[in-house]
Amino acid sequence: MKRIEVKLSLSVVAPLLDLMKASSDVLEAQIAAPLTLDDIDADFRDDWKAELLQGQQEELHALMGLFDSDFFVNGVVAFDEDNAEIIVRACSALRLRLRRHDLKVLGDEQLESGGVELESLPAPLQKPYMCYVFLGTIQELIIQHLDAAILRGPSEPGVEFEAAEDDEGDEEIGGDGEDEKG
Amino acid sequence: MTRALATPTMAAAEPRLAGGTAPAVSPAEVERTKPALSAQGPWRVVVLNDPVNSMSYVVLVFRKVFGFSEPVARKHMLEVHEQGRSIVWSGLREQAELYAFALQQWHLTAILETDETH
Repeated sequence: MKRIEVKLSLSVVAPLLDLMKASSDVLEAQIAAPLTLDDIDADFRDDWKAELLQGQQEELHALMGLFDSDFFVNGVVAFDEDNAEIIVRACSALRLRLRRHDLKVLGDEQLESGGVELESLPAPLQKPYMCYVFLGTIQELIIQHLDAAILRGPSEPGVEFEAAEDDEGDEEIGGDGEDEKG
Repeated sequence: MTRALATPTMAAAEPRLAGGTAPAVSPAEVERTKPALSAQGPWRVVVLNDPVNSMSYVVLVFRKVFGFSEPVARKHMLEVHEQGRSIVWSGLREQAELYAFALQQWHLTAILETDETH
């Protein structure tokens, strides 16, 4: 099974976790992406929303679960074919929440260009922006290394894929950088 | 999407599809069969642009949800990015709902449209 371990800078990432947790808590009861269900049967919408919300909650629990007591000892988080998809989705949910709430004063073009200088932002925006970039970096790392696993889907217990790779990658990031947007 | 969510739609669609075949159709029956045609006719799954999800993420989602090849997924992603929207699938309503739900599970902004929507 392909697995990547990412060594994070504790001094950079630890201060972001409170904001991630607070945003995650809000998303316990609120779907992250804008939802338009006008063409869905009215009596079907509640089930639709409830199931989306349940999935989102599971994603966020998985993401926050990465930052357990072990993480605070060694600063390492690990991704493999079993958690890659759920973590990538959780990062998307949290980034949407950060963008719509904490970073709403920033323009779309400003965020999409990736040309935001952290130091030029007002102090209250710096942590949300770092968090936004950090989650985007995690996403890109997973997509870069584990996209095949995501496309294939999580493994079932006792099932080994013939094409599964058994290499183990290591990355080291400090929560900096930016990505292109779709 | 799980079976639990799909079931109410399927149950609701079956009675509609059963109606509207009599030779003499009353106005009431016309109204009753209108949703049936909508349920069967072309429904479009449309993905709208958002400034948050990265290009590589959107490509991955399209490949995962629809089984698109990388070039096809990339083409749709670029349509979303440059034109603000892309029709990623069209067909029967029930399947369109499944796809829209799957895209929303990935936190993309996906909507359903019919010809009647415009």
